[in-house]
Amino acid sequence: MRTKHFIFSALFGCTFAVVLSSCDSFLDITPTGRVIASTGEEYRDMLTNEYKSFSKDRYMTTIRTDELRLTGQTSSDDRDSYLDLWLWKDENPSPTTTYFSWRNYYHSIYIANYIIEHQDEIKDAAVKDVRQLVGEAYMMRAYNHFLLVNLYAEPYTHCTPATTRGVPMMLEANVNAIPPSSSVEAVYQQVLADISAAADYLNVAQWPEGKNYRFTTVSADALRARTYLYMGRWQDALTVAERVIAAHGELEDLNVATSLLPDNFKSAENIVALEQFSSNMSTVINFPSTDFINKYRTGDQRKSKYFKKATSTTYSLIKKDENSYCSFRSAEAYLTAAEAAAQLNDLPKAINLLKPLMQKRLNSSAYGTTLTLMESMTQAELLEEIYDERARELAFEGHRWYDLRRTTQPALTHTFAGETYTLTPEKYTMRFPTEAVESNPEIERW
Amino acid sequence: MGKLKLIFFALLVSLTAVAQERTITGTIMDGEIANEPLIGATVSAGVGTMRKGTVTDYDGHFTLKVSADITALTVSYMGYESKVVNLKAGTNNYTVTLMPDSKSMNEVVVTGYQNIDRRKLTAAVSRLDISDEAVGAVKNIDQALSGQIAGLSTVTASGAPGAPVKIRIRGTASINGVQEPLWVLDGIPMEGNEIPAVDNLNDIDDIYQTSIAGLSPSDIDNITVLKDAAATAIYGARAANGVIVITTKKGKEGRPVVNFSTKLTYNPKADISRLNLLNADEKVDLELDLLSSDYTYRQNKGDVAIILNDLGETAAYKAGGWDALSATAQQRINHLRTINTDWNDILFRDVFNQEYNASVSGGSERAHYYASAGYYNEQGTVIGVENNRFNVTLKTDFQINKMLKIGVSLFANQRKQSSYMTDTGGFTNPVFYSRRANPYFEPYDSEGAYNYDHNVQGRESEVPDFNIYEESLNTSKERTDRSVVAIFDAELKLHKYLKLTTQFGYQYDNYQASRYAGQNSYAMRKAKEYATYTVNGVKQTILPDGGMTKKSDSNANQWTWKAMLEWARRIQDIHDVEVMAGTEVRHTESEALTSTAYGYDNHTLTTQPVIFPSEDIARSYPLHEESHLENAFVSWFATGSYTLLYRYTLGGSIRFDGSDVFGVAKQYRYLPLYSVSGLWRAKEEKWLRRVKWLDELSLRASYGIQGNIDKNTSPYLIGTFKRYSILPGYVETVIVTETAPNPDLRWEKTRNVNVGLNLAFLHNRIRLGVDYYYRKSTDLISSRKLPLETGFASTTVNWASMQNEGWEVALNTLNVKTADFSWSTSVNLGFNTNKVLNETVAENSTYPGREGYPVGALFAYETAGVDSEGYPLFRAKDGSVQTAAEFFQLNKFGASTLTAEEQRNLYTYMGSEDPACSGGLINNFEYKNWQLGVNFIFNLGMKVRVQPSYSPTYYDRGLNTNHDILNRWTPSNTATDQPALLVNSVARGSEYTHFSEYNTYSMLDTWVKSCSYWRLQSVRLGYKLPKEWFQRLGVSSASVSLEGRNLLVLATDYHNFLDPETMGNPYAQPITKSFIFGFNLNF
Repeated sequence: MRTKHFIFSALFGCTFAVVLSSCDSFLDITPTGRVIASTGEEYRDMLTNEYKSFSKDRYMTTIRTDELRLTGQTSSDDRDSYLDLWLWKDENPSPTTTYFSWRNYYHSIYIANYIIEHQDEIKDAAVKDVRQLVGEAYMMRAYNHFLLVNLYAEPYTHCTPATTRGVPMMLEANVNAIPPSSSVEAVYQQVLADISAAADYLNVAQWPEGKNYRFTTVSADALRARTYLYMGRWQDALTVAERVIAAHGELEDLNVATSLLPDNFKSAENIVALEQFSSNMSTVINFPSTDFINKYRTGDQRKSKYFKKATSTTYSLIKKDENSYCSFRSAEAYLTAAEAAAQLNDLPKAINLLKPLMQKRLNSSAYGTTLTLMESMTQAELLEEIYDERARELAFEGHRWYDLRRTTQPALTHTFAGETYTLTPEKYTMRFPTEAVESNPEIERW
Repeated sequence: MGKLKLIFFALLVSLTAVAQERTITGTIMDGEIANEPLIGATVSAGVGTMRKGTVTDYDGHFTLKVSADITALTVSYMGYESKVVNLKAGTNNYTVTLMPDSKSMNEVVVTGYQNIDRRKLTAAVSRLDISDEAVGAVKNIDQALSGQIAGLSTVTASGAPGAPVKIRIRGTASINGVQEPLWVLDGIPMEGNEIPAVDNLNDIDDIYQTSIAGLSPSDIDNITVLKDAAATAIYGARAANGVIVITTKKGKEGRPVVNFSTKLTYNPKADISRLNLLNADEKVDLELDLLSSDYTYRQNKGDVAIILNDLGETAAYKAGGWDALSATAQQRINHLRTINTDWNDILFRDVFNQEYNASVSGGSERAHYYASAGYYNEQGTVIGVENNRFNVTLKTDFQINKMLKIGVSLFANQRKQSSYMTDTGGFTNPVFYSRRANPYFEPYDSEGAYNYDHNVQGRESEVPDFNIYEESLNTSKERTDRSVVAIFDAELKLHKYLKLTTQFGYQYDNYQASRYAGQNSYAMRKAKEYATYTVNGVKQTILPDGGMTKKSDSNANQWTWKAMLEWARRIQDIHDVEVMAGTEVRHTESEALTSTAYGYDNHTLTTQPVIFPSEDIARSYPLHEESHLENAFVSWFATGSYTLLYRYTLGGSIRFDGSDVFGVAKQYRYLPLYSVSGLWRAKEEKWLRRVKWLDELSLRASYGIQGNIDKNTSPYLIGTFKRYSILPGYVETVIVTETAPNPDLRWEKTRNVNVGLNLAFLHNRIRLGVDYYYRKSTDLISSRKLPLETGFASTTVNWASMQNEGWEVALNTLNVKTADFSWSTSVNLGFNTNKVLNETVAENSTYPGREGYPVGALFAYETAGVDSEGYPLFRAKDGSVQTAAEFFQLNKFGASTLTAEEQRNLYTYMGSEDPACSGGLINNFEYKNWQLGVNFIFNLGMKVRVQPSYSPTYYDRGLNTNHDILNRWTPSNTATDQPALLVNSVARGSEYTHFSEYNTYSMLDTWVKSCSYWRLQSVRLGYKLPKEWFQRLGVSSASVSLEGRNLLVLATDYHNFLDPETMGNPYAQPITKSFIFGFNLNF
């Protein structure tokens, strides 16, 4: 009995000991598919996700412009999703209306901040690669703030930036922050500062095809040029845009049958092949407005490359295909430089800057007549011509809304079911999304 | 009673005094407590009129004169086994020791780890013996607990067959984590009993099954509910919400006993007339009214608008009214008034349900066995809803030798549930549709073909065809659960005082869910419409012809192994020491697979490929998804108790839990949880033994710490791997990070104090248990809404501390007891007051914090009727009446310019969602072979927020609603508090935008209702058939019963709603009445 007793106790004790010693390994289960980033590759994968989910709002603003029309042909789904945006009925949109995002931008900013803050802890990566990644993170932060301030705050050129409410800025990865809105000026200054920081870090001039959605050294100047342009800092815009042209001035020649559309991600013209239309919008954008089509002159190759005749009077869009991805491309730099030069009243320079672009877009006879026409223009007329050229060139690439609001803010009208709606200047600025105000009322207080 | 007996005995003694006598003296001792005399024990001799007797005095002595021919004495004492003492010639002094009655002696409390003698029990536990008489005809074991146990409240969120019951023990202790108690089956904690929170009210349709739903109540012997820390600390972190221990039936020594029982149930269809919906006449009038008003939301909806649009007379009607309409239009509209479809009648049905159980059990000294099989089938009163269960139980134990005992049990079951497919709008839910369908809509035309209801759906223009009958015929949703629990246990008696027990439990749950939508269904039409894209310039749906099938298969298994070493010793019959230490290892694993196919034909089982135009689109139609989750846990625990003279017990327990949880800071891997407790059985004190009317008086006290950690939040930024292509043709790995990290997250802890009193009087005819508890929870974990600028929508934080304080009263009385008749009553009451002690209100929150209020606090805006344009008016804190623009200081966007704190202060406290008092009242009457049970449950003093009857900016005229809309403000009906249907205007644009864009309207005090109810849960009449009737057939007993469940609800005002329990949810199936015939046979 006593021996038995001892044996059992020993057995029990052993089991206990085994359990004790093996339990730490028993508890070390690595869950399938989950990870805490530590290597360079993993940090890159995190940023890749932000590229993947990058806001498509800039393209969606097309709905609010004069580029397209909603017609009886528009599907009921599309009408439910987009009609109230098209009619600028922001005060009581139907509950089915699609909305512009908010958190999406800030999630990208969070990850950008996270990468910036953790850059020294990134393992298994070359210094050069880490620096490029951090540079891209700065660009990510700058570009998201830039898009936010231009969607939800008054245009820099139509307000007193220092005292006008901008958007909240997030400069740290902090889930406990309750940020107030910053002034328009402060946001722009931060965007410029982030671009400068990015420029210090970025070292990849050109990503191979397939990865060319990522920010590059040229993209820093491309965003800087656009920022100066939106601020009305003409001399700076001109200088930087010319730098972009020097570094990445390639243009697709639309007179050549085999040329790619300039917003194709494979196009030589593409600098950052990131933004695109959401696939939900594939049908609604199919109806360019007649007025917009009429902006193209005879001999403009874009009219037939971007659009196709649907009926005797209407066109449909072919520019937006599955390969259209574009945030920055060479043509924008030419247009920015030209607009800045025209604003500085250096009209010959402005025209010279437009020449390479027009050569690639117009057939030779149209090129000649347009050039003659431009040379006869006053400053105001030339500016108007450049605005139109910008509209024609960057059609359906999400530029139009921003260009309209920063320049003349025309009182566009949209007519639906016999009723006419007018785009008044205050509607060029959208209100903060309800859910954003609900989760942080501070942002509305100014 | 006792006195009467004494007088009677005295009389007997004097009558027989003449006979030859001898005097017997002696002492009666208590066998339970050494060297203690038994006071008041009865000593008697003889039979009939010759019978005489006495009772022992304070020292346990007695003196009794008996006639010489008496050869034996009978000694008895309440709660002790009677003893017969043979008188020996010449010996006139006897010392007799009585042993406590084996029934009460064996009364042990099963905690799942230990069986504790009730006389040493320091914890707050309640036990419920499961029998038809006690709990009535319940389908699932969770329903059986309703109203039976003080401090345990149950909420039936839906009347759907198989819908789980939400159980809360002693209020809510945790906000975020699991709030369900831990279920333990014969010692093995069960997995898969969390009831997911219903975030979207419509989700209530989701078929859900807990693992305990697989057990048949007829296999269960009793249930023990562990309530305080002294009882639950041994279970560790999982027991923070209490523990429910199920003990299943086992075989008893003796010949095989065969039992057969059946229950046949009739459920009449629900009655929705309580909803006060508009009839056809009223609905047509409403639509005509709205068409001539400026209210334009969904103005083309409703059959009136459809007719007028069809005839092109809308403009004419708007300009000239009814008289401007053509005769055809008037006739067609008037025809609508005559229809009045009774949706109640055609969407619900009377059902007949059945349940059968058979078991055989028995055993010998060396082995016991129990085997059973059962089947039950329940059809819902909602057409298309059904639930059934097959289950088999095998249970044996063997006494191998003096040292070793082994047990094996197996529980297997299969459950199948059928329901309808749900859609986001909720229209395919017959309960919801019956509230929204127009009374003038007929589901079939005169030839029997489907009419389609085009008024449903969120979209205003063309909608897919919807007919609820076609839908229920062409769609289905089924879930089949298969589950096996196997338990092996062994007990090795190593030594007189030392015992080693080990138990291994394996639980396997599999479920297969299938959803099917046929070609001719609204679900499919809608799916196809959503999947419409422009491909090569042609707009078309990418889904092939045919239906859709979606199947998911989920497997979850867990194993638990525990080993315990117990040392128990009684020293000199004075000291009792028990010590136990053990370890437990648990491993859980689950995997799920979902597969979807389109172009499905359910006759040929063929599918067709989907040609996706782009990868982006293909991503939104995942055809195959898999997941895998694995967790491991290791724990150590120990308990100890010391008892002196069965009067004083001191106990304690401690447990360490460790788990593998990923990304949890190391210092939080192990958490010690412990308790200390004591018991004083005052009745056993000498000075109380004399008090004969008192049968029990004992006091309990315990203190302990329970804890919980949130497994989903990590101090680190955790990501999930995915594969995507950003640019066409180039696939890349991404890490998705959608959970906000929180480095400051700590364990949430609850300190428990419990003080309890057990009393029994008058020969146990009145038994009273009272418990007071105080639970203070600190560092509570909850989800908090984050400013979206942080990049995340919400995170988990330690936000608050709160207390639950309450009383539990369980009173059992035997009111009348005669030879043929008895009446007993059982009342149990739970009073719980919950208070949030402090709360860090998020600075960005516009809803008030609950500091100083209960956790279920409801806040609302105080209203002051409507103004001269029908806009809601608010009463500000200074008493003034303000418009929304003034109250919220709205800007031009309709957003408030007040700070978050100022917005919080606009709210007024309305009350708590949790009942102030809940409990049950059970009465049992027995007369000869008849038994009648009447069982009420009640929940008193709570508030509920209901959905507004209609939205003033988004009322959809295409749908039906209740009568409130007829009382809305209009220029001709200004004496009302129901707002107008609002129209945007320049003057009140900001208010209009505010009401349409923000949630303000549903937060008005109008929508917070008082709710208190009594529900007559069960009335059951049973009859035991006289034995003579069937003795020849070999039947040993048989009984029949008739029961009515949910026959009556007494409640505060719940007009416009079906049940007080489901007021807050318009999608919930009604709780139906049922009538059950039961039959039980024993061989």
